Amino acid sequence: MSDEADRLIAAALRDHARPPAPPHLRRKLERRYLDGQRRRWLVPSLSALAGAAIAALVLLIVRPAPPPVVDARPAPAPVVDTAAEAVGDHLRVLGARGLGVETNNMHNVKPWFAGKLDFTPPLSFVGDDEFQLKGGDVAIFFGHKSAAFVYARRLHVISLFVFESSGTPSSERTIQGFHVLTWGTPGFGFALVSDVNWDDLRALQTRLQ
Amino acid sequence: MFSAHPSRPRLTVVKDAERSLAERALGHVDELYGLAAHLCSSTSDAEDLVQDTYERALAGASRFEQDTNLRAWLFRILRNCFIDQARRKKIVLEIPDDGLDTIAPDSWEADKLEQLRYLGASEVSAAIAALPIELRFVVLLDVEGFSEAETADILRCPAGTVKSRLSRAKARLRAVLKETR
Repeated sequence: MSDEADRLIAAALRDHARPPAPPHLRRKLERRYLDGQRRRWLVPSLSALAGAAIAALVLLIVRPAPPPVVDARPAPAPVVDTAAEAVGDHLRVLGARGLGVETNNMHNVKPWFAGKLDFTPPLSFVGDDEFQLKGGDVAIFFGHKSAAFVYARRLHVISLFVFESSGTPSSERTIQGFHVLTWGTPGFGFALVSDVNWDDLRALQTRLQ
Repeated sequence: MFSAHPSRPRLTVVKDAERSLAERALGHVDELYGLAAHLCSSTSDAEDLVQDTYERALAGASRFEQDTNLRAWLFRILRNCFIDQARRKKIVLEIPDDGLDTIAPDSWEADKLEQLRYLGASEVSAAIAALPIELRFVVLLDVEGFSEAETADILRCPAGTVKSRLSRAKARLRAVLKETR
């Protein structure tokens, strides 16, 4: 009985013990570390500092009156949150009554996308005993059609989204309790989402890459 | 490593590498905050702890070894930052001996077990708050999916210690949650 209690408590911890970071904290960190104007850890060389000092001095001498102070920093670019988009789409997969094509045969899944997408998903992993292919569907990713492949790991569902992208960064995040891995190849972005543990998700990523 | 691009200014290459590390590191902010929220007594303290963690991590970005576990590295830094704060605030980190690690498996009535299925966030948070700090670490790192070996590496202690602490933490959580409702 203790084992069953431990199992239920562990499930409750997974569901409720991981409050997400407040949005303002995330924005604050992104401004501090990703805003090009304020990357404080980038220390220029002494010669560059000296050059900048001389240039500033020349400007002060040439210009009798300083211009009004204007914050010329560009507004932070909106963060394209691929991981959050992937979680939303994964929830839609979980809530859907069925997939567009349900089969464990990749040779039936990939042709199913023909005519439904503007691209052929560059995927060679057909599934195995540990990660069984369940099927595929068309998902809408940032307003564009993408390929969704669904794998099963024991009782867990794993969604893989493949979409056209010119630069999807590699990342690992946990959102709403779901682990999300993203990465890119020339022309394509990939996002894996599931509640399986990180080791399993990374193992599937390795098979897909 | 960077000399592979002789035509590119070194600073630019370093900048790219460090920006890339910052982007990857910021991908873990939810997980770090999730742990910090259970260690600190207020949300503002938790936010400060996460900010301190990133400050220390990215200031020491050159010390991060590529191809090692970035996530574990960040959690280790968060723990170090927390310990520094705890020392300043004189927070007790030792685990009092309550004998819970030696008790036999307890029995659970069916209705009590059923109640566990419907635990809410407030009950879970209260149960975690009832744990000594060191037990919170092992429980929450376990929730994050770290193995005992990885947790031992983060906490800088033997894997056997992690195992026994996890067992004690589970016993305590059962004891607390059994009395809930």
